[in-house]
Amino acid sequence: MREGPHDGLIWSLQMEDSQPPGLRQEWLARRSTRRALLAGGAAVAAAGTAAVVVGVAARDTSPAGATATPAGGPASQAATQAAAETPRLARVMPEPRRRAAHLLRRAGFGGTAAQIDEFAGLSREDAADRLLNYETIDNSALDARLAAATFDPIRPGDNVRWWYTRLLYTARPLEERMTFLWHGLLTSQVSKIGPQRSKLMLAQNQLFRTHALGKFDDLLQAVSKDPAMLVYLDTVDSTKEHPNENYARELMELFSMGVGNYTEDDIREAARAFTGWRITNPDRPARPVEGLSEEERRKLLDEVWRSYEPKFIVNQRLHDSGSKTFLGRTGNFGGEEIVSIILEQPATGRYITARLFSEFAYPDPDQETVDRLVKVWDESAHSIKAVVREILTSDEFYSERAYRSLVRCPVTFLVNAVRGLEIGDDLRPNMFNDKYIKGMDQVLFEPPNVAGWPGRATWLSSGTFFARVNFLDQFLMGQRARPLRLPALDGATTPETLVDRALSIFVDGNVPAASRQSIIDYAATLSNPQQRASAVAYLALASPEYQLI
Amino acid sequence: MFNRRDFVKGGVALVSIGTTAQSLLKGSVAFAAQHPNDVLAKNNGKILVLVQMAGGNDGLNTLPPIGDAAYRSARKIIGVADDAILPLEGGYGLHPNLSGLKTLWGEGRLAVVRGVGYPQQDYSHFKSMAIWQAGDPELKLQDGWLGRTLEKMESEQHDPFKGFNIGTSTPPEMRIASIPIPSVNDPADYNFAVGVRSATGTDPRTATLMKLYEQYPAASPYGVLLETTVENAVTSAKQLAEVAKTYVPAVVYPETSFASGLSVLAEAIVGNLGMRVGHVTLGGFDTHSGQVEDHDRLMTTLDEGLTAFYRDLAAHGKADDVLVLTWSEFGRRVQENASGGSDHGSASVMFALGNGVQKGLYGDAPSLSKLIDNGNLSFTTDFRSVYATVMERWLGVPSEAILGKNWDQVGFIRAA
Repeated sequence: MREGPHDGLIWSLQMEDSQPPGLRQEWLARRSTRRALLAGGAAVAAAGTAAVVVGVAARDTSPAGATATPAGGPASQAATQAAAETPRLARVMPEPRRRAAHLLRRAGFGGTAAQIDEFAGLSREDAADRLLNYETIDNSALDARLAAATFDPIRPGDNVRWWYTRLLYTARPLEERMTFLWHGLLTSQVSKIGPQRSKLMLAQNQLFRTHALGKFDDLLQAVSKDPAMLVYLDTVDSTKEHPNENYARELMELFSMGVGNYTEDDIREAARAFTGWRITNPDRPARPVEGLSEEERRKLLDEVWRSYEPKFIVNQRLHDSGSKTFLGRTGNFGGEEIVSIILEQPATGRYITARLFSEFAYPDPDQETVDRLVKVWDESAHSIKAVVREILTSDEFYSERAYRSLVRCPVTFLVNAVRGLEIGDDLRPNMFNDKYIKGMDQVLFEPPNVAGWPGRATWLSSGTFFARVNFLDQFLMGQRARPLRLPALDGATTPETLVDRALSIFVDGNVPAASRQSIIDYAATLSNPQQRASAVAYLALASPEYQLI
Repeated sequence: MFNRRDFVKGGVALVSIGTTAQSLLKGSVAFAAQHPNDVLAKNNGKILVLVQMAGGNDGLNTLPPIGDAAYRSARKIIGVADDAILPLEGGYGLHPNLSGLKTLWGEGRLAVVRGVGYPQQDYSHFKSMAIWQAGDPELKLQDGWLGRTLEKMESEQHDPFKGFNIGTSTPPEMRIASIPIPSVNDPADYNFAVGVRSATGTDPRTATLMKLYEQYPAASPYGVLLETTVENAVTSAKQLAEVAKTYVPAVVYPETSFASGLSVLAEAIVGNLGMRVGHVTLGGFDTHSGQVEDHDRLMTTLDEGLTAFYRDLAAHGKADDVLVLTWSEFGRRVQENASGGSDHGSASVMFALGNGVQKGLYGDAPSLSKLIDNGNLSFTTDFRSVYATVMERWLGVPSEAILGKNWDQVGFIRAA
């Protein structure tokens, strides 16, 4: 897609040499002001990447400082400063429309202009409940869209397209948001399951949707028996003679308690309890494969995988039914008892509620905040919905500290763009599997490892930056220079109204005045209305503000 | 504390995005003049390329013992047959698929450090990786060990490629706020795609976008990270495109993403982009089941990639300047499991490759009869000794400040 190898070069020549002298002076002046600001705040640039965020947090909203601040040195100045500014950071954002947009970004994938306006008129509780009680929301338009499309469940690329279709067109954004959250926490990777068995990932995805806001206990028990998970973490290979520890370890380390709350012995004992856990095999092919041509054979086997509906079973011969001592308790535990004991641990409540809070509000919540969430967790018998509701109606969630405190992940980057621009059926079907999606570093059904996507600042690198902006270029401009139609920007005829509309939908209109003016100035140079709208959408979506959430 | 990048940012150099490196002030020289107490290590021109073998590489099968009864009885399925091992010395040899490395051993270019680990081995991938990446089992040191190292190294100019990663996001060991690390997966996509262009051939949309990053207040959330990342992206893309015009590989690299990543590092090295530390990852070593097939393939990928990289650098006269070092977060359990695989273990091996290497096996091989933690190897060499060796003897950077204490060095780097 590159038109020439020197875009960067061309750009730099322009900045260095071919800009009008006045503009260049102005640019340099702004730049040195900025540099001076940076140099003045030595803490900002002196410590680690995490500490950059800390340093910034000291003067603005980012929260990572709580854990990243080293003893002594510049970052502790930052911490002192942060403490001094705590009241301001704890303040609830005053602007109703900004609060509404924040909620729709965090608990969904961003709103349209009309949705943001609508939510701006609701109380915190009503706004949260409208998202949480999604069973009552009619989703038939999505169902019809899914039914009309063709997806082959044994093609991983089709599965990605299937899920993006849901993400883009669902009327129940929190349902998909939770499904996505559980996919990132209770991970499996399709590459390990194997493409022919990628249908198992769809079943797991549906499991996450079914339990999205249910009882965490049901979810953890169910995922322990989920065929994709049983394959992914090698439980299907684990025997009484040779227990495989993979699932037992990750269950405790990543899916429930977190490190430091169990011993290596606990892992070994738990692994014994999951031995013999298996899934049923696929049916035999309808006819013998011997003597068939390569293509006939492939078709026949594809049919086998397409009709495969694996069920969880326990092979008692391979199961270790002996006594186990786990987390201080002794008994002939099976896997379900192990999961139940884990669910009773205070560590599990702390780990899961803190994780939910970090996903929705800001990373590394304070002790008091977690204590409050754990109380809700305990009193609601581990109801995910109750905890999420507590988070989405809290002062912390709507605080200045939460605002733009997270880096936008690629899935939200994409889905919010499509939803915010109100694009209908105009999307290229192959856009969800192109190289830029991989370049942004997030492929659905393929987190990098069992810990899921590390997120936070890791989303931002020079490489992912190019992937993001180049994705936008291809998405908005199309491959044949026919720009995508952008219904949300229709009717905004002047550069000013167009820019304000786009900035309002995507970044709360909250950008420096100079940035707004830069986009307006550029938009004014484009006379073709479609090209102008595309260029403005590109700049809004590529802006630094949109990279945060 | 004050570092070179702050100094540059302080307004003296006014490094504008896209400025050619040659035109820049030699920031480090001026920095050193004004800050005599924080002099950076002299640029000795030496380059480190770190290869991460992610997932926990089976060191025991990478460097198996020959004719060892304990090894044979623990690994009936996954063990490497004695007659297939490529012998090195002292009863140890290389995995049969490491024939290229065996040849380089014969040429005196390869060293292996055995039994590398740390006290109280952690068996979690993520915790153990974090330990290696921080260079600190207690995880009290901030940032990545290479990030802290890079910060102490002088470079000739404001090099966007001082640290260079192949991949999509910055590896934790290279993280440090003061130095943005370009991450390149495919150089062909490492630049702005522009669907609509004005008649003059310049791209005003990109220029407008850069203004948005300029104007985003540094004190706003992630302000410094956003700005330095984008600035680095633009500068590094331009330089890489320039170098790509003249670099011709002297070998045919294998068609693996690992090898193509190494070829991009070679391009940066041959093109004199000022790279001091490079990073590339080969993943898939978490061989819990069906290990033989997977590990054999990974050994081939490693061997063919490193061999091509070395030969390419040698043909371009750069093999004297580049040290390749491999690492993995842990090895595997001695006893194979029932799935034809192996579970998370402890000590593993590290390779060092290059003309600066003193050939040999270093560190004691861990005993297969005195196991710890229910069947794991007891480490013999602390990984921080290896780090310290690379810092002191190769990069010329004092290691004590970076690692928090002095570590004994390992002899695998030849005296200059």
